[in-house]
Formats: sequence, structure tokens, C-alpha cells
Amino acid sequence: MNSLTLISILLTIVVYIGAMKLARLVRSPFTNPVLTTTIVLITILHFSGVSYQEYSPAKDWISSLLGPATVALGVPLYKNRDIIKEKMVPAAIGILIGTLSTIVSAVWLSKALQLPEDIQAASAVKAVTTPVAIDTVKIIGGDPTLAAAFVIASGIFGAIFAPILLSVANISDPFSRGLSVGTVSHGIGTSQIMVEGPIQGAVSSVAMGTAAIITPIILPVIFRFL
Amino acid sequence: MKQTLLFLAQLFFLYLIYQGSSYIVSFLDLPIPASVFGMIVLYILLSNGIVKLHYIEVAASFLLKHLSLFFVPISVGLMDYGGLIQASGLQLLVMVAASTVIGLLVTGGLTQFLSTKKVQKEENYHEQSHSH
Repeated sequence: MNSLTLISILLTIVVYIGAMKLARLVRSPFTNPVLTTTIVLITILHFSGVSYQEYSPAKDWISSLLGPATVALGVPLYKNRDIIKEKMVPAAIGILIGTLSTIVSAVWLSKALQLPEDIQAASAVKAVTTPVAIDTVKIIGGDPTLAAAFVIASGIFGAIFAPILLSVANISDPFSRGLSVGTVSHGIGTSQIMVEGPIQGAVSSVAMGTAAIITPIILPVIFRFL
Repeated sequence: MKQTLLFLAQLFFLYLIYQGSSYIVSFLDLPIPASVFGMIVLYILLSNGIVKLHYIEVAASFLLKHLSLFFVPISVGLMDYGGLIQASGLQLLVMVAASTVIGLLVTGGLTQFLSTKKVQKEENYHEQSHSH
């Protein structure tokens, strides 16, 4: 590990700790740790002339924990298995229709806004977790890097606004709140809605996993009709 | 010291599940991410009692508490899209925001409607059976 990588890792962790402190002090959607840490890091990298490519080794070190961390979501899943089994049918319908609604609205909006075709295809996978988005977008002829960017943007947007939006829409049931965030804003949304409570976190992980399984199956079928 | 070792051992165990899952997913060519597959594997191991919660709980709660951190470096990747954002940032923002809002409301609203309707039905049923 060279010194730039080491400094980048330490910098990321220090900024993240600061962001967590800020989020605890100022409770607002805009103090979401993923958002604030990302903005501060991009600003620092930009002004110190470090490219994303140079930052990438640090990214690989930190993201290597993403796999085990996602596996660890099996714990809240196990602890809340009774409520999940009990509400299996509404959950399955919610995830399926919810996934369809995000795909259709994203592609239609991209068309209406006259965005190029590769952007339309990339927008279709924006609700699903990054590795699945990258693999699925190739099937429908979109750009994987662009797809990853949309996935992140949707995750951050959902993490910031989902709690308020769901409350305004009178969606107060913890199960439905978690399910909705996991379906539409994958892991980034899950990391935020977990703060609300263990049910939300567990259901969000289940929804994220289920959406990751059904999206590659349904998308190639419906995409040609959009 | 003992706590640190316990934490590292648990972390290593979760990492093994992840690596094993990666291997199975690529070997069987499954269309799901290895991490999601690993989550299901851990769930099954816990349900069968093969893995007990206390084997992994310290590392698992640490990882879940800091889940956001592991996404940050990937989000920083948005810095490479400055050009695209300058060219059609507003359209992209509208598309991402509107379809995320639609997805959240449809999913959450529908699930809440379906699950509360079911509960009400059951309550009605219980009331009826009491009256008989």
C-alpha cells in the first residue's frame, strides 16, 4: 500500500466520523452521512488534484468490507423472520409492482426529457444494487459506468428524502417503509432506514435482495415494450 | 485484546461466507450478486442453528452500523461525471428524483394498503367468530 492510498483511506474514515457526528447533532436529510462524506471527499480530491483513478486503491480497500457487510444483513433478517413470513404476500406484490413502477417511470421520463438512448437503458437499472445493475444493463445495451452512477444517485436521493416523503404520504407502517426503501434505494437507502428501527432495516435488506433477484429476470422482457 | 481477536475472528467468518458465495455464484452462473446470495446463506445457517447469533454478532453489528461508510468511496465515483452533469444535469436530476419518488410511493403505499387490509379482514373474522 503506498502513502497516497493510506492517506486516502484515513481521510475517508476521518471525514465519515465527522459526518456521523454532524448527522447526530443536526437531524436533517441533508446531513445524511453518505451525502456529506461524498461531497467533502469530492471537494478535497478535486482541489488537491487527485483523480478518482488515483483514489481507487483506497476505494477497493474500503469496499472490500461491503461484501461481508451485506452478508451481515442476514442477522436482522433472521431476527425479524416472523414478521417477514407473516407479511410475505403483500411484500412480494409490493416489491414486484414497485420495481416495475421505478423501471417504467425512469425509462419514460428519460424518453420524455429526450435523453440519449444509452442513458434511457442505464436509467432502467437505477433502483437495483450496483453489481446487479452493471450485469443487467449490459443485456439491454446500456453503459455500465453510467448505470453505476444512476444507482448511486438513486440510493443517495432515497436515503435523503425517503423518510420524509413516506411520512408525508402517511406511509407510517415500519414494514412498508423498510420495504419501499430497499426496493427503490438498495443498500445506500437500507443503511439510512436502518437508523429508524430494526424492522425497517431487516425488511429493507429483504426487499433489496428480492429486487436484485427479480430485476435481471423481468427487465430484458419488458424493456423492449417501453 | 480478547475482544479485538473475537471481532477479527467473526469478521473473518463473515468474509468466508462472502467468498464462498462468490465462488458458488460464479460457478453456477447465478444472476444475483454474491453478497445477496451470502445474506441468504447466513440466514439459512442461522435458521438451522448451524451458526449461532453469538458467533458473529459483534462483527455483524459493527459492519451494519457503518454500512454507509462502505458505499462512500463508490459514491465519490460521481466526480467523474462532471461533464455529463454540466450538459444535462437538470434532466438527469428530474429523472432520478421523479422515478425514485414514484417507486417509493407505489411500493410503500401498496404494501401498507395490502398488509393493513389483510389485518382488518382477520379482525372482522375474529369479531364474527366471537358473535357466534
